[in-house]
Amino acid sequence: MDARSLKEKIFLVTIFALTALGVTPVFYVLASVIYKGIEAFTRRGIGIIVKVNGGILPAIMGSFALSILSTVIGVVLAFVAGLFVAEFPNSRISKITKVASRSLLEVPTVLLGMLVYILLVVPTGHFSLLAGAIALALVMLPYVMVHVEQALESVPQIYREAGYSIGMSRAQVLFGITVGIAKRGIASGILMGFAKAMGETAPLLFTIGAARSSLPCSIMSPGDAVPLMIFQYAQMPQEYYHDLAWAGSLVLVIVFLLVFVIVRKLIKEVKY
Amino acid sequence: MDHAIVVEKLNVWIREDHVLKDIVLKVPQGYITAIMGPSGSGKSTLLRSMNRLVELIPGAKVKGKVKVFGKDIYTEDPYKVRKDITMVSQNPNPFPHMSIYDNVAIGPRIHKLVKNREKLDELVKWSLEKAMLWDEVKDRLSDPPTVLSGGQQQRLCLARALALKPKILMLDEPTANIDPVNSKKIEDAIKALVRDEGITVIFVTHTPAQAVRVSDFIAFIYNGKIVEYGLSRELALNPGHELTEKFLRGEIG
Repeated sequence: MDARSLKEKIFLVTIFALTALGVTPVFYVLASVIYKGIEAFTRRGIGIIVKVNGGILPAIMGSFALSILSTVIGVVLAFVAGLFVAEFPNSRISKITKVASRSLLEVPTVLLGMLVYILLVVPTGHFSLLAGAIALALVMLPYVMVHVEQALESVPQIYREAGYSIGMSRAQVLFGITVGIAKRGIASGILMGFAKAMGETAPLLFTIGAARSSLPCSIMSPGDAVPLMIFQYAQMPQEYYHDLAWAGSLVLVIVFLLVFVIVRKLIKEVKY
Repeated sequence: MDHAIVVEKLNVWIREDHVLKDIVLKVPQGYITAIMGPSGSGKSTLLRSMNRLVELIPGAKVKGKVKVFGKDIYTEDPYKVRKDITMVSQNPNPFPHMSIYDNVAIGPRIHKLVKNREKLDELVKWSLEKAMLWDEVKDRLSDPPTVLSGGQQQRLCLARALALKPKILMLDEPTANIDPVNSKKIEDAIKALVRDEGITVIFVTHTPAQAVRVSDFIAFIYNGKIVEYGLSRELALNPGHELTEKFLRGEIG
């Protein structure tokens, strides 16, 4: 074997080893969640999903409500902000918004929870799903915004010119052409934000109140969320609560996987 | 001779650059006019001044008048101006997220030019035929434009511009990035449009050979000024200016 092919071999083996090293933790976590989750379900019965007291239904319902509420609030704000920054890059407001959003990415999320605690929980006098949703929307906001902004900026200028050169208005070019071409990037951004927010525990500590013995009846009532339940049950001494935590983790992973696969299937990539 | 476009003392600045200087030009109606000049001479900017696309360039400032069929376009709605004077860009830019059909149909749709689907189908077919592309795409109208070659994509852009039935069609170096066979098809399509439909065509080119081959009139622009303007054959055989002669010989470019 000559020196060149030997070098190539060494290179390939190194790359392969490093790749394996990189993906191992991901698969280890995923595998243990699936294994322990299934174990928990077989030990305690599949019924714990729909059980209110001593089950995980309140957490699942809470997470479901939070995901819809926070996505509606967060994505609308982030989409508009991202659109604005990408479309008017030279305005002062855009520049400030850009810096602010990048800083918001780095703010500890527990602080966002505390902010909402002061602004909403204290004045209303009680915890609520709405407070949790607003806190999660704030977590989601910078992620989605940055992705929307980058997806729009990556659309080549020639397509905008094509739109204008057949008499399209600015709004028609923006929504019919630029957003249309960038739709997959925008959808990925929304998913990233959604996933980030749904996995968060810290912003909920001060906002939703961990009410897990009853179902929430309105967005103003206290509620629970799967990550918060996992966090608190994992610290309990009883085995039963550990099982509930594993079961909750498995449900969370399955729901994420489904949402990701469906959205990515629905929105095709635009090649150019 | 009637004039489709009359440019009067047009000056354009892009930031600090004085790109076009006191341009005076009369574009005859129903003929092909070439704006010819070396890179950076301002020919693309001149073209974009005649449909107000120039305003989209950051820092652009326009002074002077551009009259299209007697009306100053700078006092009108820019979107309507661009609907009536459509343009094909230098690089093929069909909308990648739409089908071939929708790429042609989008103009008539947003400007509500047709009443029903049948009329739209007819218009799309007509546009693609005029762009000499119909036979190549008629069986795959719902495919994305990315299945087409670069030259076919450029003809699709021509069809998209034609679907608005413009009286004036502008092309910015339409064949600069296209192979010779496709270039010839585009040139033939332009000539046929002028002959059969009476459209006025203005195109930008940096190759003298193409200007002479395709156009009836040539405006030679150099350094932001129109050096010479006249009938193509006369200008080619008998250049009235030293710069034109040099450019025709390929000494500046």
